[in-house]
Amino acid sequence: MDAIAVMLITQGIHGLAYGMLLFLVASGFTLIFGMMGILNIAHASFFMLAAYFAFQIMQWSGSFWLALLLAPIAIAGLGILMERLMLRQIRKFKLGKAVVLFELMLTVGIMVCIEEAVKNLWGTDPEIVNAPELLRGLVQFFGMTYPVYRIFIIGLSCSILLLLGLILFKTRLGNVVRAAVQDADMAGALGVNVPLVFTLVFGLGTWLAGIAGVAAAPMLTVFPGLANQMMLDSFIVVALGGFGSLFGAFVISMLLGELTAFGIQFFPGYSTIILFGFMALVLTIRPSGLFGEKE
Amino acid sequence: MNPDRKQPRNMLMTKRLNHYFGERQVLFNISLEIQEGTRHAIIGPNGAGKTTLFNTITGKYRPKNGSILFKGKDVTGFKPDKLVRMGLGRSFQINSTFAGLTTFQNLRMAVLARKNIRFNFFRNLDKMQPVTDETDTLLARIGLAAERNLPAGLLSYGKHRCLELSLAMATDPDLVMLDEPAAGMSRIETHQMVKLIRELTHNKTVLIIEHDMDVVFSLADRITVLHHGEILATGTPEEIKANQDVKDAYLGETKVGNAA
Amino acid sequence: MKNSFRKWLLWAAILAGLYTAPVLFGVFELNLLLGASIFALFSLSLNLLLSFTGLLSFGHAMFFASGAYGTALVLTRLDGCSLLSAIFVGAASAVLVALVLSPLLVRVGGHTFAMLTMAFSQIMYATVMKFSHLTGGNDGMSGFPIPPLVIPAVGLIDMSLERNFYYFSISILGLSAWVMWFFTRTPFGSIMVSIRDNPDRVTYLGFNVPLSKAIILGVSAGFAGVAGSVYALFQNMVSVDGVLGPLSSFTPLINCFIGGLGTFIGPVFGTGIGTILLELMSAHPEQAQLVFSLVLISVVLFLPGGAIMLYWKITSRWIVLRNKFQTAILKGNHES
Repeated sequence: MDAIAVMLITQGIHGLAYGMLLFLVASGFTLIFGMMGILNIAHASFFMLAAYFAFQIMQWSGSFWLALLLAPIAIAGLGILMERLMLRQIRKFKLGKAVVLFELMLTVGIMVCIEEAVKNLWGTDPEIVNAPELLRGLVQFFGMTYPVYRIFIIGLSCSILLLLGLILFKTRLGNVVRAAVQDADMAGALGVNVPLVFTLVFGLGTWLAGIAGVAAAPMLTVFPGLANQMMLDSFIVVALGGFGSLFGAFVISMLLGELTAFGIQFFPGYSTIILFGFMALVLTIRPSGLFGEKE
Repeated sequence: MNPDRKQPRNMLMTKRLNHYFGERQVLFNISLEIQEGTRHAIIGPNGAGKTTLFNTITGKYRPKNGSILFKGKDVTGFKPDKLVRMGLGRSFQINSTFAGLTTFQNLRMAVLARKNIRFNFFRNLDKMQPVTDETDTLLARIGLAAERNLPAGLLSYGKHRCLELSLAMATDPDLVMLDEPAAGMSRIETHQMVKLIRELTHNKTVLIIEHDMDVVFSLADRITVLHHGEILATGTPEEIKANQDVKDAYLGETKVGNAA
Repeated sequence: MKNSFRKWLLWAAILAGLYTAPVLFGVFELNLLLGASIFALFSLSLNLLLSFTGLLSFGHAMFFASGAYGTALVLTRLDGCSLLSAIFVGAASAVLVALVLSPLLVRVGGHTFAMLTMAFSQIMYATVMKFSHLTGGNDGMSGFPIPPLVIPAVGLIDMSLERNFYYFSISILGLSAWVMWFFTRTPFGSIMVSIRDNPDRVTYLGFNVPLSKAIILGVSAGFAGVAGSVYALFQNMVSVDGVLGPLSSFTPLINCFIGGLGTFIGPVFGTGIGTILLELMSAHPEQAQLVFSLVLISVVLFLPGGAIMLYWKITSRWIVLRNKFQTAILKGNHES
């Protein structure tokens, strides 16, 4: 096989791995927005925090698998606390239209808070998280070599996706959640315990971000700025894919992952401008996103 | 004003208006003629497309096809603000006032609109005495002087409805479009409302959507019955009362609706 | 009467305080005051969108940055450019950016507006980095000349003197703040508030909402541009992370919320509180932002009216207490 094809496929796998991580983060982001109407600016910060949790757990125990199990649960716990103690508190004020502003600002505050807390606890220098022995090195098939860890990320994301899909589309709980995402008021009128579903979805969303954070830790550098790129990318995913649309989020995540992987090689420097320009265009022309339902 | 305004002319005319929500057609070939100086009511069961018709006429929606003539001019596709500046006023089914501003501030916006003070960046509004005076006169006229400094959102429902009507009348429009002005009101309030409508719309052309048949028959000169997005009949109140189609389609359904 | 007298007294005291500041304080405190004033104006301009029009912008820094880069560029490239025209160029470039973007921005509100402004500020960040031969890229621009202020019949006023620059900037900032305040009091200002409350009704009163929003955006951007321009002169340097970084858009927002939403003067209090807070934390600069964010979270959760509301609560409680006290005394007198 010639060198260009190898390069293309290797980059493709890179893009796929990043796209999968992005989707794990963005799916929670879009679910939360679709259901609660809250644009959680701090969502990607949970992703970054999870990477640090993973780092810390590995410092203590040395086990990546333990980190993969515990860190997302801890993150989900924080997410649930944020929803129960903070977002709910704001709705009590009866601020009318301004409630959107306050919710946005609360998530901004939490975003800054997490970033600064991380800087204080772990410092600003990048931390290194090693992949477990099992997942290091390269694997060969079809005459090409791939880093095992990226394959693992793709596999892990796929299985979580599958699980998520099964829960959302095959169970009663999933029905309830989807109903609440579509129309929370109507679901409430039909006897769904909407506040509980809110908490559940918030927990689920942050848990997904947590998984992505732990999985990303050995692949990307763990540093406080990790949240920024992820936040901007998941914004693009949600805006283009349509607020609340999982399918849209998936398609755009994959595209963005590949675009990031190839964009670096083909048009360095311009990819941000093109991406955000496209996002701005979609937001104004079709505010419901490319895959969202038209109002 | 116009020398050729001897005989009544058409204030508003729609020609074969069609409108769709997505794939679903909600207005079918609506052709209306509203004579200057008449009070024209649009009635019809819920979901007949009355408010959609209002939204289409006032430019909130753009009709799929058909045309709208206002004062003899083709205004199809004009935006609401432009139509309002041409002499159209509208009230909403659900109160659409500035709930966070005081009654005085609400009406002051209306006075600014009437006086055509739009892009004025060089005067302190609080010190523009004529505006303040006119607003206070208006407040007294609609009987809200006591609530001058109360946020509109805290007004009683009936008074809030009066404010809504006053905002629709604010620009001194030639054509007033009222969307269920008496919705949700008690008998006494409805009575007062009809009186206020008569008073405020004296010599004006009125297009009114209403469910309360007493209001319709006491106010309207002509009535159009809308059913499933189509015009069932148009005529004087007597003609409508006598119309068998209307009885079958509309009055029948209303009875069922009332019973349920 | 008494009230307006007290108001004048307050203003006289503030003016006297600002006038005597260079005499009373050293260079450090003076710079602190000036820096805070710049950010106060920046926050005020954002507040025009936030409190008065109900639009939350996540990218207001792009207007601040336009002002800063506009001024820096014209001073670098154009020899003999006067001080006032440099500031004018800064403000004008911010207005220009706002007007170019306004066809897209005026169509949306709420979350979409927030995301759109953020997207545009990201585009601007990338553009500034891309045109590094003009903007200096990551290193930014510095060392551009600060021309003296020319006043006809008086002569040149040297801006390299701390005190002169202080008086000049504080006048520009103060004047801008006053113009903005007046703007909110005009008939157009009342349209602004009405758009926040109910844009549909504003339309049906015959006002052109998109055009009005574009004007508000232009005015807000213009004053953010003035703040950015003075910032560039003050620092004699513009860096991309300094004026367009992640916190550049959030800090003025936070100032508005801490000071108190829904009032004109709130952001000034917010900036003041923020500055004092950062100063108090100067021994532990790493934790300063953390504390700042915790303050923001507490304000959003427990004091949605911000510092102004707290002040009002305290004074009204004080008045209630005083009245109670007085009635008690009167009652006592009456009974005896």
